[in-house]
Amino acid sequence: MTAPVRPASQAQLSARRRRKAPVRISPARRAVENLVIQIILIGAFLVLWEYASDRWVPKLMVSKPSDIGAQIWKWTLDGTFVRNLWVTVQATALGFLLGAAAGMVLGFLTGAWRRVGEILQPIVTAFYTLPRLALAPLFLLWFGLGMEFRVMFSATIVFFLVYYNTYFGVREVSQELIAAVRIMGANPLQVALRVIVPSALVWVAAGLKISVPYALVGVVVAEMLASDEGMGFLLSRGASQFSAAQTFAAIFGLLVVALVVDWLITALTNRALRWKTAGSMQN
Amino acid sequence: MLLDINDVHFGYQNEVELLQGFSLHVEQGEFVALLGPSGCGKSTLMNLAAGLLNPLRGGVNFGGHPLHGLNRDVGYMTQGDTLLPWATVAKNITLPLELRGVPKAQREEKLDKAVRLVNLAEHRNKYPSELSGGMKRRALLARSIIYDPPMLLMDEPFGALDAQLREVMHQELLNTVARTGQSVLFITHDISEAILLADRIIVLGGLPLRVLEETEVPFGKDRKLSEVRTTKTYADMEVHLRELLRKADALTKSKQH
Repeated sequence: MTAPVRPASQAQLSARRRRKAPVRISPARRAVENLVIQIILIGAFLVLWEYASDRWVPKLMVSKPSDIGAQIWKWTLDGTFVRNLWVTVQATALGFLLGAAAGMVLGFLTGAWRRVGEILQPIVTAFYTLPRLALAPLFLLWFGLGMEFRVMFSATIVFFLVYYNTYFGVREVSQELIAAVRIMGANPLQVALRVIVPSALVWVAAGLKISVPYALVGVVVAEMLASDEGMGFLLSRGASQFSAAQTFAAIFGLLVVALVVDWLITALTNRALRWKTAGSMQN
Repeated sequence: MLLDINDVHFGYQNEVELLQGFSLHVEQGEFVALLGPSGCGKSTLMNLAAGLLNPLRGGVNFGGHPLHGLNRDVGYMTQGDTLLPWATVAKNITLPLELRGVPKAQREEKLDKAVRLVNLAEHRNKYPSELSGGMKRRALLARSIIYDPPMLLMDEPFGALDAQLREVMHQELLNTVARTGQSVLFITHDISEAILLADRIIVLGGLPLRVLEETEVPFGKDRKLSEVRTTKTYADMEVHLRELLRKADALTKSKQH
């Protein structure tokens, strides 16, 4: 995954917007119908699961939806969910912020200054090829079992994703544009702030967007490896106690967090990049 | 003398030195077209005039002073779309003024004049992605003249436009510089474009680059392009330059291989 995530191009965006579905039923009606079908599908799956458990598959392995529901309800009432979710979300946010900030700064420096890039880029790539999990024992040694370990572990994952996208985004900025702005009277700081940073923003935003789920993955993995709190801890504790219900309940909690985070990020990045779609929205 | 490139030597790494004692002069208010085959080194000359490149030997004088570093007394317009996509037309056009620290009231005043000059008045609040190719060119033209530079450096600025739009832009460019009195150094490989626009055409070719011919164009500053195109002088010049350009092309290619 050395290749950076390409932001959707102008042409792709406008093509997607222009192609409309032919009029047969109203979009609102279609949305309601889709939702109903989705609920029926999931419901049917749950019913099948409930029936199959202990009949076709051992309950120890898969638990069953009613037990999982009861577990979720219990954890919701006694505060287990809120406490551990909060720990995980906090670590994810910190890991993301730390990794993203470091990635953006280094990506910008290596992208904008050719010489700095020539020197540092190979070093960063060498570290990138290292499996991140191999760092876990070292990080544990350095940071102990606490929050710092999880934050740092998640930050190293986020760092590389954001770094590569920022680096390539900065490198993509047209030299012709930079020359034109310099002749217009811009000093190097103005070139950086007025041209390079906004030009690279599309790429950086794409990098940020995909790295949020990875920040969560990093934290959960770290919690599973060594922790006494958080959703990853609930997950591994459930499994080690042979309680499939607890494990599934923890997965359900993570699913909700991941969906909320993804929704938030989409809303934020769409807002920041509104200029990019101004033309295509008119058509 | 506004631009004076004097006995300049310049070359790129691992290549035969492109300029070996090349000279080029442009007078105040003069429209000079550099005509030559693609890849012959026209753009290098323009970048020397802009101060984006520095000569190995020899000097570039601008407005009577030797040029050190960037030349900020020129307008610079290339074939590429160098508008900032996240800024409106008005913001884009006034960018040079903003970078030069011109106060807002004065910026507004100049913007009004500039958008009227290039017929973009009703599109000033649009984003570049909402503009057609021709409107983008007009915005770029307005941006390169808004700070009243004494000279415009244009590197195939209309190269990506279709023929009809290009004719419109040619007339608009001529009208604009006739009003502002600016000099233009215009790079093109299109023969008719050179005849229609320039006061003087310099045909370039070969390696090292040299002037194959210099031609004065007799149509004057307030020419009407639709009329120019029907004259016999225009047709004769076109035939002559076509022959010359073919020679220049062969000369450049034979030396490159």
